[in-house]
Amino acid sequence: MKLFSSYIKEMKIAARGFYFYIEIIFAVILLVILLVAVKEESISKDAEYLYNDIPSEVMTYLIEKDINEGKARIVEPTEFEMKPVTFEITNQETGEVTLYEFEEEKIITVETVERLDPETGKLTRTAYITDNEEDMIRLSYLEGQIGATTTMSADGEFSYKYYLQGYETERLVDLLYILHNESGEVLTTAMDSQVVRTIGTEQLLNNRENLLPMFIVFTGSLMGFFIVMAYIFLDKGEGVIKAFAVTPSAVWKYLISKIGVIMTTTLISSLVITIPVMGTSINYLLFLVFLIVTTFASSSLGLLVASFFDDMVKAFGIMYGFMIALMIPAFSFYIPSFDPVWLRFFPTYPMLQGYKEILLSNGDTGYVLIYSLVFLVGGLVLFALANLKFKKTLTL
Amino acid sequence: MISVKNLSHIYSNNDKLAINDISFEITKGETFGFLGPSGAGKSTTQGILTGLLKLQKGDVQVAGYDMNKVDNKRFNKIGVSFEQSNVYSKLTAKENLEFYSKLFDVPTRDPEELIKLVGLEGKENDRAGSFSKGMKHRLTFARSMINNPELWFLDEPTTGLDPTIAATIKNIINEQKAKGVTTFLTTHNMYIADELCDRVAFIIDGHIKLIDTPKNLKMQYGKKLVDIEYVDGNEVKKETLKLIDDKDKKRMYEIINNYTIQTMHSKEATLEEIFIQVTGRGLI
Ligand SMILES: Nc1ncnc2c1ncn2[C@@H]1O[C@H](COP(=O)(O)OP(=O)(O)OP(=O)(O)O)[C@@H](O)[C@H]1O
Ligand SMILES: [Mg+2]
Repeated sequence: MKLFSSYIKEMKIAARGFYFYIEIIFAVILLVILLVAVKEESISKDAEYLYNDIPSEVMTYLIEKDINEGKARIVEPTEFEMKPVTFEITNQETGEVTLYEFEEEKIITVETVERLDPETGKLTRTAYITDNEEDMIRLSYLEGQIGATTTMSADGEFSYKYYLQGYETERLVDLLYILHNESGEVLTTAMDSQVVRTIGTEQLLNNRENLLPMFIVFTGSLMGFFIVMAYIFLDKGEGVIKAFAVTPSAVWKYLISKIGVIMTTTLISSLVITIPVMGTSINYLLFLVFLIVTTFASSSLGLLVASFFDDMVKAFGIMYGFMIALMIPAFSFYIPSFDPVWLRFFPTYPMLQGYKEILLSNGDTGYVLIYSLVFLVGGLVLFALANLKFKKTLTL
Repeated sequence: MISVKNLSHIYSNNDKLAINDISFEITKGETFGFLGPSGAGKSTTQGILTGLLKLQKGDVQVAGYDMNKVDNKRFNKIGVSFEQSNVYSKLTAKENLEFYSKLFDVPTRDPEELIKLVGLEGKENDRAGSFSKGMKHRLTFARSMINNPELWFLDEPTTGLDPTIAATIKNIINEQKAKGVTTFLTTHNMYIADELCDRVAFIIDGHIKLIDTPKNLKMQYGKKLVDIEYVDGNEVKKETLKLIDDKDKKRMYEIINNYTIQTMHSKEATLEEIFIQVTGRGLI
């Protein structure tokens, strides 16, 4: 009863202030960006890594043909420094998984061909042609771009193997075939002998869906962390915590009611973004569980940080530091080759990964559940610490 | 109701003791005035008694609770009004009190009635943020009564209020007193203290200088004072002399013999004058 009336009061206050609307408006802006500015499909990958397992005369012939038609030009070879890396590749047709382990750093120089638009003469993509398949696969993984192997059978038919990052859509894959082949006839042949492989164990999410985890973590956890602090500082400024402290009601109820408000706004803003993009294709129960535990953990962190300061100005430095640190894992999420181990200890890392698993049609539910538990326990610990700290610092 | 023994308190960011070894007792039904100039340690003492500040040193019992092992439930019978008003500016006066009343486990008073009582009638549905300082202060004061407290802490309840409203507040305190409420009252205002308090303590620089009833204090200190105004050359001068003090008596004869007297009144010393006599300092 006390808890509920505290929550209702907090909601009233929130609805009469502007932080509440900031969060919702922010979510709407992100949604508009997603729907308007981010195309669901995109072929804007500007590089590709090729390995051609065909006789060099044929190769030379093909490239020269393209050059004569104004479709390509040869430029200076490019040097790549390839870091040690381990990853898996799943064959989409057979489901077979191959593990690649490269322990040594390697520097290679590869032939570089620029593909041009024959009409305008503008550069469309750059192709890097390696002289063995392993280098091609490794580069493709490290650079986060498409890779392909071209082979020619004894009777002169080409076949292609594509190495994708996992987020290209099927239509993009279709378009690729067109890019690599001049006529529809060849395309069909190519389609028949096609084997598409995906680098990593990742399933397909389109560009828009792929941005969603970051946006949800942003509007949910990071905003929750920030706004709960703002609410606490508003109250500290007005001194109302002291008034609460001289009632028979426990401080944790006050804190929980704050989190309740954050939870409400986060639910609204996350669903505002998620429903229009994902429709009914995801498990919303799992989504809500994960959303609630991660928001609980991050707003508890906000409470704990806020308990150490008197006002927003004093807390600003540390708050800003936390926000930046929590955002770093987003880079790794979109740059597959940047994935240092230390990054996994940032709470936003499993958050991003967790949302991704939820969005994927056959995502790893176990991962989501395990991390839900981790966030729940972590959140409870942070909350308990914040509660202790608040009880101690209700000074005059 | 309250027993304080050898209480001291120091703030972490301040190397001087805010409270230095004070002791006093307040019995049930008593109105106890804590008087002293700014920075004397009045609010600090109230902070410790209400549990908002952690007890560092000394024995403190409040409403039957040892302040070393406190229980939130005690606040069902305690009311606290703060020196700095602290209400939710985004909530209306009524919402502020309604919400607050829900935090108690005991029957509470009707918010509208309380709002009327402190003279804020017609402002029930205005947001506290739009209130003047004095209005917020009255709302904070009204809030402290919501749970019909047996023990009532009032930190400067009349500071910053105009005389009529201050008189209203004084009457409310008097009514509560008639109901048997024990009150710990902190103030600069000696008239309020004089009229309301059964006993007062003079506190200065963290020390209690004396504790007594206003009546005893007046009997003891400067019972017979004379205000005398006289003309010295072109100037009108004023002196206050004690009739029991030989030096002052001589001075009076001197004035009467040598100057033209304009006015001369005998009077009782005010609490304020006694405070100055006892502590050597003013109250502001
Ligand atoms: N939060 C604080 N941090 C550090 N020192 C403090 C704090 N609050 C009070 N003090 C110091 O403790 C002493 C007593 O302050 P207190 O507020 O109890 O005085 P007061 O008698 O209530 O004064 P006033 O009449 O101005 O309200 C003062 O010297 C003051 O500077
Ligand atoms: Mg004070």
